[in-house]
Amino acid sequence: MTIITVCGMGFGTSLMLKMTIDDILAENKIKAEVSAWDLGSVKGRHADLFVASEDMKSNLTDIGANIIFIKNLTDTEEVRGKILKAVKQLQ
Amino acid sequence: MLKIFESIITTPAITLGIVALLGLILQKKGASDVVKGTLKTILGILILSGGAGIIVTNLSPFAEMFTKAFNLTGVVPFDEAVIGALIEKVAVIARTTSLIMAFGFAINLLLARITPFKYIFLTGHMMWILAGSLAWAFYDLQVTEMNTVIYGSILQGITMVLLPALAQPIMRKITGNDTIAYGHLTTTGVVAGAYVGKLFGNPEQSSEDMKLPAGLDFFKDTAVSVSLVMVLIYVITAVFAGKEYVETLSNGQNYIAFSVLNGLGFAAGVLVLLQGVRMFLGEIVPAFRGIALKLVPGAKPALDCPVVFGYAPTALMLGFIFSVIGMVVGMIASTMFGTIVPLPSIIGGFFTGGTAGIFGNAVGGRRGSMVSGFVYGLVLTIPVALFYPLFGLQSYGIEGIALLCPDALLVLSLVKLFFSLNIPAVGLGALILILIILSIKFRAPKEVVNQ
Repeated sequence: MTIITVCGMGFGTSLMLKMTIDDILAENKIKAEVSAWDLGSVKGRHADLFVASEDMKSNLTDIGANIIFIKNLTDTEEVRGKILKAVKQLQ
Repeated sequence: MLKIFESIITTPAITLGIVALLGLILQKKGASDVVKGTLKTILGILILSGGAGIIVTNLSPFAEMFTKAFNLTGVVPFDEAVIGALIEKVAVIARTTSLIMAFGFAINLLLARITPFKYIFLTGHMMWILAGSLAWAFYDLQVTEMNTVIYGSILQGITMVLLPALAQPIMRKITGNDTIAYGHLTTTGVVAGAYVGKLFGNPEQSSEDMKLPAGLDFFKDTAVSVSLVMVLIYVITAVFAGKEYVETLSNGQNYIAFSVLNGLGFAAGVLVLLQGVRMFLGEIVPAFRGIALKLVPGAKPALDCPVVFGYAPTALMLGFIFSVIGMVVGMIASTMFGTIVPLPSIIGGFFTGGTAGIFGNAVGGRRGSMVSGFVYGLVLTIPVALFYPLFGLQSYGIEGIALLCPDALLVLSLVKLFFSLNIPAVGLGALILILIILSIKFRAPKEVVNQ
């Protein structure tokens, strides 16, 4: 399963998100390929799930695939809840 | 044989690749992850240097046009390009940057462990910019490589722990908790802006209770914002420099077409560079973080500016708009110094001016965010102009770009100061003493007494 985290630059917020998701997946023994990309490069990419912060919503309307938005990037509980729910749906 | 080995080992791409390799092995990652991570780190750095080269190529005609048009040296403040160019041109700087980054991080961990300042600076490109700045400063001051790495790493480690500490009181107000910190080289700027904003503002009137247009959203896309701004600046400058002059630079190509293409070429270089940074940081930061978590309990990550954007999006836009105004004013003021004219950095204005707005809102409400943005815009231009002559860039063949981050400028200025007075060791000693004093002053209230 592939997961892509998205942010403006591709190495700030999305990288932190990627690491948080890596931890959550490892805790739950779920295997997935998580990578961090920026808004500009992400358009052509394919993934099973996209994750971004809520303030990116307007820039990601045409992404097509499954996408979840996180309100508070540093709230591990919110990220955990949303990620696990989405991942279980995909399995 | 040994010579070949030695020259490979002292290439920055390889040095940081080794750091990533060690980080991955220490985290007990599987063989395929180790190979992937190490390779991507090395490739990332190579791509980044390529991007730096493209940027510099596309910017040289602009530098000449600007000088002709306005009788001044207009420069684009852009840290990643400055460091990228220095690394590409000077092998020593490339080596010492990697080593300062690695050892600086180790010292950060050590200090986080033993002082009350439990911050682990995790914003990769900022670590890289500071390490590169220090490497450049010491190289320019003709300090030996060994001493560069020693002094540089200590300064890097201390800075990485003290900057987040400086911002934390405001971060606590913004986030409502104490779990994350601010990891950026604009800390002194945004904090100063915020406190000035506090003088004029009212924290009860938050900017988040206002309505603003969402039309400025597209600035989040670097490709778009850099292209538009650079093409605009290039074309305006070309018009002022005159068709005839520009066509001597363009070998006859139409002056507007030339300017547009070079402006876009600059943006292309930026994107290549950022792609390289992305790839290299994508491996280095997790490697570093893994090492950190195992070694420093209670650590707070000091993170990149976008982590605060969600808390106050209106303050973000206010900070952005007012910092652009501040930068234009600062740019005009800088023409009086006779050094260089720093052009407004729109990306800097959005990401970090926006942050200044958020910080300002936390202590001074909506007026606070506007004033903070404006003050910060001045901070992004006037010090850049004043600082430029302290260390050479043109002597390295680098034209048209300048170092921007307020904290990097501050640290480098202090380095220059102590070296000029011939007392660098005293400066370092004083800094360590200050750190010890601050640690004692801010130590955690509970002192465990051995029974």
